[in-house]
Amino acid sequence: MTTKRGLITDSFKVVKKSRRGAKQRKSPTPPPSQPEDVAPSAREEDLQQLKQFDLDWRFGPCTGISRLQRWERAKLHGLNPAEEIRELLLQTQLSLWLSYTVSLSLL
Amino acid sequence: MFSDLSAQREGSSLLCRPASEDQGPVFERTTIDYSPCTERYRLGERSFSRQYAHIYAARLMEMRPLLSERAKHKWGSDVLIKKLCDLETGEQCCIVGTLFKRMDLQPSILKEISEEHNLLPQPARTKYITEADELILEDELQRIKLEGKIDRDKCVTGSVIVIYGAEKNDGKFTVEDFCMADLPLQTPRPELGSDKFVLLASGLGLGSSKADSMLGLQLLVDMVTGQLGDTGEQSGAATISRVLLAGNLLSQSTQDKDASTKPKYLTKKTQAGSVEAMRLLDELLLQLVASVPVDVMPGECDPTNYTLPQQPLHKCMFPLSSAYPTLQLVSNPYSANIDGVRFLGTSGQNVCDIRRYSSMESHLEILEETLRLRHLAPTAPDTLGCYPFYQRDPFILEDCPHVYFSGNAPVFGSKLVKGSDGQEVLLVTVPDFSSTQTACLVNLRTLQCEPVFFSAFSADEDEESEMNVSH
Repeated sequence: MTTKRGLITDSFKVVKKSRRGAKQRKSPTPPPSQPEDVAPSAREEDLQQLKQFDLDWRFGPCTGISRLQRWERAKLHGLNPAEEIRELLLQTQLSLWLSYTVSLSLL
Repeated sequence: MFSDLSAQREGSSLLCRPASEDQGPVFERTTIDYSPCTERYRLGERSFSRQYAHIYAARLMEMRPLLSERAKHKWGSDVLIKKLCDLETGEQCCIVGTLFKRMDLQPSILKEISEEHNLLPQPARTKYITEADELILEDELQRIKLEGKIDRDKCVTGSVIVIYGAEKNDGKFTVEDFCMADLPLQTPRPELGSDKFVLLASGLGLGSSKADSMLGLQLLVDMVTGQLGDTGEQSGAATISRVLLAGNLLSQSTQDKDASTKPKYLTKKTQAGSVEAMRLLDELLLQLVASVPVDVMPGECDPTNYTLPQQPLHKCMFPLSSAYPTLQLVSNPYSANIDGVRFLGTSGQNVCDIRRYSSMESHLEILEETLRLRHLAPTAPDTLGCYPFYQRDPFILEDCPHVYFSGNAPVFGSKLVKGSDGQEVLLVTVPDFSSTQTACLVNLRTLQCEPVFFSAFSADEDEESEMNVSH
């Protein structure tokens, strides 16, 4: 699988624990606050919205079909899915990356 | 009636001297408008990686509004329609859901291969129902056991219905009444001026070891192409405007898989039985298509995919007859508009499958039941193979046909069903030609159906009895 659009470590930063000698193992310090908190949180918010869409029981099963196909099906049967979900899905930057995370988030 | 038309004898021309130069009367076949509904049952890309939950979800999504309306119509507009998760004990309400019948005898591959049960594969039975079956209703999230005034033996898995009743304390729902989606709306058919007939036949059974039905088939072809009888019968045959072959054109014996079990050196030079049978079929069709438009539907024993909807037979198998534009290779199920009369039907797999899992015996009764359920094949995909659709269930009847048929029935049957909104549907169970030598003629003007028998003397029976005597 190509990951040209981003790596998982973009969204979930690797936290390196600093070693202070073998015996003085204290509880790991919390990760330092990210300077770019603002930008990924918008993306994470979108991701959360899409996850909520996946788990919404009114639109049927979510596995095996793409989110856009599921949205289209819901629209076809008159279940009024939110339009903003469709807009999110059509933004090209997000769609590929997030469709990759569907399989991860459902694990 | 067709038999009346052909009985008009204007002086038996067969017994006259043959005409010298002139050809004799030429009859023009009645033409009809024909438009097939091809898109609904054709598959584009085929991806089997999906699960079947989608087709059930799509089915329930599509039928829910229809059934809610029926419920309001039947039990009053103020009746509560609830979901199972909102159900309260003792409250009278309606629930829309999919039926599931848990049968002990239902063949389960998991039970067969499970080592702890150590079971031998079950032989095929005619009926898989027992007294211990349970009916369960499922909606999107939950399921509940049903008891009460619902005929458990008659219902099959996969039917979407609405039930009215209350949940009693023991967690089961007591059904006081239930309702099906019933017939959809029908566009009225146009008035036709003259009698026009469509011939329905199925189960030709070519390529079988016994060739009993070959003479009957040839008689059928000769009758339709006008080579049989005198001018009265020929003019009658000219009113047959279309022929529809509803499945099982090849016989069951072409399906035997001996070649796969025998070693290669024994089977290297042998052809599959279906090759010779297809050649026979092509030659038979050639005689027909030269004179009348023919629709060919595949059936259970034909070389196409197994799962419903079966895709049309490929035209490379019909080198002779596909040269004619009158040959239409169509899917199973098949829907078409023939001169304003809507035809819809299958080759009988849906009806046979329902027969195995319910107490209903007559194919005609089962056909009516599927019409009332508004679904061609409710047992798909549970016990009947089906493609994993996800967006919509194409077997739901959207508009009411005028002629609803199913092929390969043991006997001929026809019935006119009237719906509550003025719909009129002719139900036809097309009999299996190889065993009954019967085909059906549907009159497009009056929506009546009559059987046509082709009987031939069978010399086999006499020979067998002589052999017995000699032994």
